[in-house]
Amino acid sequence: MRFMMLMIPKGYGSAEPGTMPSAVDVEAMMRYNESLKRAGVLLSLDGLHPPSMGARVVFDSGRPRVLDGPFAEAKEVLGGYWMVQVRSREEAIEWAKRCPVTGNDTIEIRQVQEFEDFPQEVTDVLKGFTEMQPQYPDARH
Amino acid sequence: MRFLVIVKATKESESNNAMPDPKLMEEMGKFNDELNANGILLAADGLHPSSKRARVHFSGKNRTVIDGPFAETKELVAGFWIWQCKSLEEAIEWVKRCPNPMNEESDIEIRPIFELEDFIATMTPETRANEEKLRAELESKKK
Repeated sequence: MRFMMLMIPKGYGSAEPGTMPSAVDVEAMMRYNESLKRAGVLLSLDGLHPPSMGARVVFDSGRPRVLDGPFAEAKEVLGGYWMVQVRSREEAIEWAKRCPVTGNDTIEIRQVQEFEDFPQEVTDVLKGFTEMQPQYPDARH
Repeated sequence: MRFLVIVKATKESESNNAMPDPKLMEEMGKFNDELNANGILLAADGLHPSSKRARVHFSGKNRTVIDGPFAETKELVAGFWIWQCKSLEEAIEWVKRCPNPMNEESDIEIRPIFELEDFIATMTPETRANEEKLRAELESKKK
């Protein structure tokens, strides 16, 4: 089963453009990332620049509207993610608990929808779009 | 530049029996094919709704596990793409061409991803070498 571990750092919603993590934090996180990799759990990971460097496209009235970041109303914003391959939700939670966080952050654990999770009528449609099948051949057990 | 393009959750997508509408999946499939044909698409996935979710909250050395569902529906991630684009503006243009991902009002958020070059100043040579090795190994795993 694949899970996404979504890092939600407290206060990142108001971070200035160009905000960078400290060398100490990067190093601790790299050690954690390596432990995920050694356990054969890690599929991919990325960190995100603050919302002040991003944008939102809102679909609410025919034409999409573009809003530039930061987003004043956002209480929780994403700071990065790990895509992991584990046997259960509990295993994903255990890995999240080991993350070297020193502040007041939250990691959200979300299961990824696999091809076989969808009903027949949806998989029939998906068959026409082979590019969109799971990208990790070993991610299906 | 790489971008994480996030489809935000809605009341419908977070309901427990949420399964995608086949017609919308077909439109989205066409859009994905177009992204792919233009060399934009690197990855894409949808996430299961509320009932299977958990959170781990960190406060100093404490970890608290909280089971879903969570109230702030509009802040949650329903699905995502990773795109390779020349600029934020190019990513925005592609998002505008995307079919509305929900059968109701919805938002897509575009976030630039940290690349190794962004960190170089803050990394020791050793940390940097480790990071490069890790990325290369993850990349070869996909093939």
